[in-house]
Amino acid sequence: MKFKNETKFEITGLNQEKLLNELCKTVSLSDIDRREKNKTSFKCSYFEHKKVEKFLKSKNVKIDSVAHESVAYKFHKLFTSWGLVVAIVLFAVLYFLQGQYVVQYEVSGVDKLSEESVVDFVKENYPQKKSQIDTEAIEVGLTATFPRISLVSCMIKGQTLVINIKEKLLPNEMYGDFAPLVAEKDGRITEIELISGTLQVKVGDFVQKGDVLVEPYTIDTSGQLKKVEARAEIKADVYYEGSVDHYQTYISVERTGNIAVENTITLFGLTIYTFKEEHNFKMYEVEYEDVELSKNLVFPFKMKKTYIYELSERVVESNFEDVREEYIAMARESALKNCENTDNIKDEYYTLRHLSGVTIVNYCVVIEEEIQTYESEAVG
Amino acid sequence: MFNFLSEVKENLKNPKGLDLTGFNIINMSGHLLYVEGHMGLVTLSKELISFKVKKAVIIVEGQDMILSELSDNTIKICGIIKKIEQI
Repeated sequence: MKFKNETKFEITGLNQEKLLNELCKTVSLSDIDRREKNKTSFKCSYFEHKKVEKFLKSKNVKIDSVAHESVAYKFHKLFTSWGLVVAIVLFAVLYFLQGQYVVQYEVSGVDKLSEESVVDFVKENYPQKKSQIDTEAIEVGLTATFPRISLVSCMIKGQTLVINIKEKLLPNEMYGDFAPLVAEKDGRITEIELISGTLQVKVGDFVQKGDVLVEPYTIDTSGQLKKVEARAEIKADVYYEGSVDHYQTYISVERTGNIAVENTITLFGLTIYTFKEEHNFKMYEVEYEDVELSKNLVFPFKMKKTYIYELSERVVESNFEDVREEYIAMARESALKNCENTDNIKDEYYTLRHLSGVTIVNYCVVIEEEIQTYESEAVG
Repeated sequence: MFNFLSEVKENLKNPKGLDLTGFNIINMSGHLLYVEGHMGLVTLSKELISFKVKKAVIIVEGQDMILSELSDNTIKICGIIKKIEQI
């Protein structure tokens, strides 16, 4: 690959042969092209263009243009471009300045402790400038402030302050928010397995949603109250209910089968054609359908079809005994809608209430399931 | 330094002992003219280029001619070279 390092001059002047003869004694010229009597263009080496320029000026020759076709010129221009130089200097200064500070904190090894609280503590109490950071002081400060910390080590890595924490190992009972266990659903308690805490209910008790089941404390033999995490597995029979009403006489609305159609063709939302079938329906319902008549975007014709269905009312007589099983199944389905787990169905039954012209089917499903939860979760 | 034209001169026999030190012109296929030993440009145009050599002037006629190289001692002419005349 050959790199061009040339400068092209275009000059205007008299007696150019003499001028070129003098110039070629010091500088080698190429591509000399006499365009007109007084106009000539020629090329010389880029590294000698200043010498040529000086010579031409000394001879009072008018230089029409000077064009550089040179890799060296491009490099020269790049490095003498003030904007670029300023940007490089600014970048270097900013890079140097921001390199003096810690901009990121990395905390590892925390389990019970909050990472944010550690970072906030370090940010508030210690400088961010790397030269002023004393990692030993941070270690001492963290150990003194957070009793859960057993061991801590800090180091600066680039612009990151890495804090490695090892927490103290405490028994599980000492953790937690010491919230009581409450009932998640209404039901009758069937089984209790207490792990820690103080029971507030016993087997056979009926509880409502939100009732406290286990308190987060224990009272020792000396009568002292000690906070512990409330933990237990409490099972209860939960009752899920559903009901369906059956009417002996009711009015049924049905389509007669008569249809009237209305078509409207639009272009850009403007109606350009409408076709409407006349009808004299007393009761009707309407359905709409939009159809694209063209697939191009130039003329997006659309047709809106409107179907008008005639309706009629009919009085229906129904005997409950004929549809009894069907209504019981509907009531059961309604009861099971609220169940999350239908694997442990213990019992199910239904009741019928006959009023004037109405029969109400109540269905109840009894499912045994765990009902304990923490108060915050129950609210959520 | 090796000079091709000097080598040619040495190998060619000069029976009459003429002076061969003035200048050398090589015409390559009528499209490139190489001149060694010029003493200055006299005329420069696309159709006519003339230059001085020792004790003479060389006139080159042609079409679309440009001086592709001009140095203190050499000339290279590119274009359609029709006629070379020494006066």
